[in-house]
Amino acid sequence: MGPQLSWYLALSAVLFTIGAVGVIVKRNVIAMFMCIELMLNAVNLTFVAFSSYFQDVTGQLFVFIVMTVAAAEAAVGLGIIIAIFRNRETLDVDDASMMKL
Amino acid sequence: MATIIFIIFAGMAIGCAIAMVSQTNPLYCAISLIGVFISLASIYVTLAAPFIAAVQVIVYAGAIMVLVIFVIMLLNVEHAEPRRRRLKFLVPMAVGMAGILLAETAFILYSVQAADTHLPGNVSNVGLTHSIGEGLFTRYLLPFEVTSVLLLMAIVGAMSLARRSNLLSASARVVPGAQVLAMDIVNPRAVGDLRPVETQTTEEAAHLLGVDFQTDRSEPE
Repeated sequence: MGPQLSWYLALSAVLFTIGAVGVIVKRNVIAMFMCIELMLNAVNLTFVAFSSYFQDVTGQLFVFIVMTVAAAEAAVGLGIIIAIFRNRETLDVDDASMMKL
Repeated sequence: MATIIFIIFAGMAIGCAIAMVSQTNPLYCAISLIGVFISLASIYVTLAAPFIAAVQVIVYAGAIMVLVIFVIMLLNVEHAEPRRRRLKFLVPMAVGMAGILLAETAFILYSVQAADTHLPGNVSNVGLTHSIGEGLFTRYLLPFEVTSVLLLMAIVGAMSLARRSNLLSASARVVPGAQVLAMDIVNPRAVGDLRPVETQTTEEAAHLLGVDFQTDRSEPE
């Protein structure tokens, strides 16, 4: 008996949960950013598992596009992080709360 | 055999993910995240998706994490100070959300287990580069092109965000060699006189200050 689809889905859900917890718990902007990357990866795992299960290439094309979005997000997000650091001399998200009501 | 491989890499992925969230040093976080990426790439290989596995290693573990580590080392931030009082509720909230999500996981496991979900063997060519390229350039050509536009926008956005803004205002005009000095610097006897003395060139300023400034620098021939 090989691994079943539900195992991959469970792994993906666990990784997504850990990523979500990290986004909430962490205060360092870069660590939060990495947790978001982890969540994206968990979703990618779901896509690939379903693609392999249904023998359909569409899921893997989705993964390809998600990876491109992640790369774009990394470039823009790290630019924003550098801009925040330059203005506030900190990476703590609690200090970058000017948009809060 | 496939089960053992899956368990090994799934355990590695979960362990690295937990290590990532529990660590405070962002550099160790990044290294743990690379561990997650590598183990996920191995799982993609067992799912008969070699192209995605290779892209995972090259793009995620390679390019994106190099960028992240570069920024971590560029900013070089020390360990974070303890959390402030009014945000303490975030940790129990995170625990509650994690509980809900894990309950959903258990539900997925339970309900999908009921169906016959054995993954087919590695007989298809779905995950190969050939079929992915075929899909990308025929049926999904428009998303592919939109992706390229997205990357272009990301390049422009990153450049405009990370550019250092000028310290001088836009209206300020600076002539090379021009200086504005206070009067009591120029003339030691005029103590407390802060009227500005403008000079147009460096030589003029040196003359005012009585500094020996070599003006006749011979041009090397």
